[in-house]
Amino acid sequence: MKASSRFSKALQATPGHLLLVMLSFVAIFPLYWMFITALRAPNEVFSDIPWPQNPDFSNFRRLLSEIPFARMMTNTFVVSVASTILQVATAVLAAYSFARWESPVSRWLYALLTLTWLIPAQVVMMPNFILVSQLGLLDTLTALILPHAASAFAIMLLYPGFRAFPRELIEAAIIDGAGPWRILFYVMLPNMRAAIASLSILVFISIWNEYFWPLLVTRRIENSVIQIGLQMFFTSEGTMWGPLMSAASLASLPILLIYLVLQRQIVSSFVRSGLR
Amino acid sequence: MALLDQAATSHLSPRQQVLVRLRRFDSNVLARWLCLLPAFLTLFVWVYWPLAESFRLSFYEWNMLPTVAPEWVGFDNYLRLLQLPEMKKAAWNTVLYTFGLVPLTVGLPLVVALAARGVGERAGAIYRALIFIPMIIAPVVVAIVWRWLLSPDHGIINEVITSLGFSPIRFLQDRNTALWAILFITGWKLLGFSTLVIAAAMTSIDPALFEAARLEGASASQVALHIIIPLISPVLLLLTMLTILHGAQWSFVYINVLTHGGPLQSTTNLYFLLYDYGFSNFAVGWSTAAGMISFAIY
Repeated sequence: MKASSRFSKALQATPGHLLLVMLSFVAIFPLYWMFITALRAPNEVFSDIPWPQNPDFSNFRRLLSEIPFARMMTNTFVVSVASTILQVATAVLAAYSFARWESPVSRWLYALLTLTWLIPAQVVMMPNFILVSQLGLLDTLTALILPHAASAFAIMLLYPGFRAFPRELIEAAIIDGAGPWRILFYVMLPNMRAAIASLSILVFISIWNEYFWPLLVTRRIENSVIQIGLQMFFTSEGTMWGPLMSAASLASLPILLIYLVLQRQIVSSFVRSGLR
Repeated sequence: MALLDQAATSHLSPRQQVLVRLRRFDSNVLARWLCLLPAFLTLFVWVYWPLAESFRLSFYEWNMLPTVAPEWVGFDNYLRLLQLPEMKKAAWNTVLYTFGLVPLTVGLPLVVALAARGVGERAGAIYRALIFIPMIIAPVVVAIVWRWLLSPDHGIINEVITSLGFSPIRFLQDRNTALWAILFITGWKLLGFSTLVIAAAMTSIDPALFEAARLEGASASQVALHIIIPLISPVLLLLTMLTILHGAQWSFVYINVLTHGGPLQSTTNLYFLLYDYGFSNFAVGWSTAAGMISFAIY
């Protein structure tokens, strides 16, 4: 490429770089500010200087003495993992059935499924809440996990992948005498690992970050997930900015660490779900 | 598939063939419906049935106590709700939230994605990793962090504003700015995601089209307007639809954590009202009726 056209290409890309730098700044700055506030000494919390001058962990110590953070982390972890496993399992089964055996009935059922995606949580929250309380499951992790056992979104994400699976492989397996379960577990699933991993990441993150349902169902802070514990801490100690920012930092740390390792996968999972 | 079955079993006697066929048919039929069972059972318990139950409850007045029976009031809940000034404000705000979000979730990302076309691989990867981060941060964390940033007393944003000589803006406490502040926060979270989705859609456009346009002497903006946007319009449409359907819901967290619908009802929307009626006032009938109204709007 000639030097002049290389230069003109770079020039053309400049507005792009500019916008992206600004966007990156807008995206990252709030979180950066959160972290450095968390690390500031208590008397410097209101400082304007963009780095912590004498970083210390007193905010974190203060926070951990006020709320049962470790317990909340464990709760969140248990709920997220259990929900993810259940939701992915039911989605795999349902997507398999829809993809392999099409009929007017299955198409109608699929349409019914997509309808649930439109229903806002606030419309169904009351009967769900009443049901949970009648079952004596208020304030339990079970109540947080059960409604997530299946989701239309998960099924809709897996369905195209199952549908696109080469029919010849299925038919070859049938000739070999394989039954429907064998075909699912030994023929199709091993090839769907990417899609399933992708879905698992999306589900895990969305349940980890979930706010509304835990808000309704949790009563005491020891039984809460981090997001609700965080809010409880915020409403009771709203102006202790130092410890508050420590809480926020700690709450984000697990997901950020996962992001550090799996960033490519996570971004592409989210983006592909949007491109569907 | 019937043909294949025939080929596979042709070595058996006709009676055996029928038996094998039946057995396979049975296990297939069983599998097919068994596979759908867990998902639909869950959805039935947590979505379909509650939807019907919400509908039913909207005709009663009840305070959720198991000792008190619901009282039939017919359409009373609906009538009273529609007359409440709160409701009108909430409905109008819902419209604002919904359509006000679109520039942030579709408009701005489109502009950035278009401008970012020339950016190289390595820089692009770094930007991608950075701008996506708000999307994975928990909404509660986002709410708390922005509360800190926008604080009129010591928030860094107001510190910058006052250092420039202006008086501090009470973003979340002033009823003229509160809704827009929440709108901004909601949009902030989604900016990176939308930009990346649009950018990804653009990469799937056949480069030959760009070549042809370049040979025809088309300017960059012409290329953008007549080639890129029409070709990625499905994605733009999807993002717009997502925003319209879920936009007001997305803001719920921020409203509940930061303003509780205030100041003076300026940030409330239908979803928040639903929650408020249900759990602050324990007015089950009102809450479900409001829910039905917003559902009907869909």
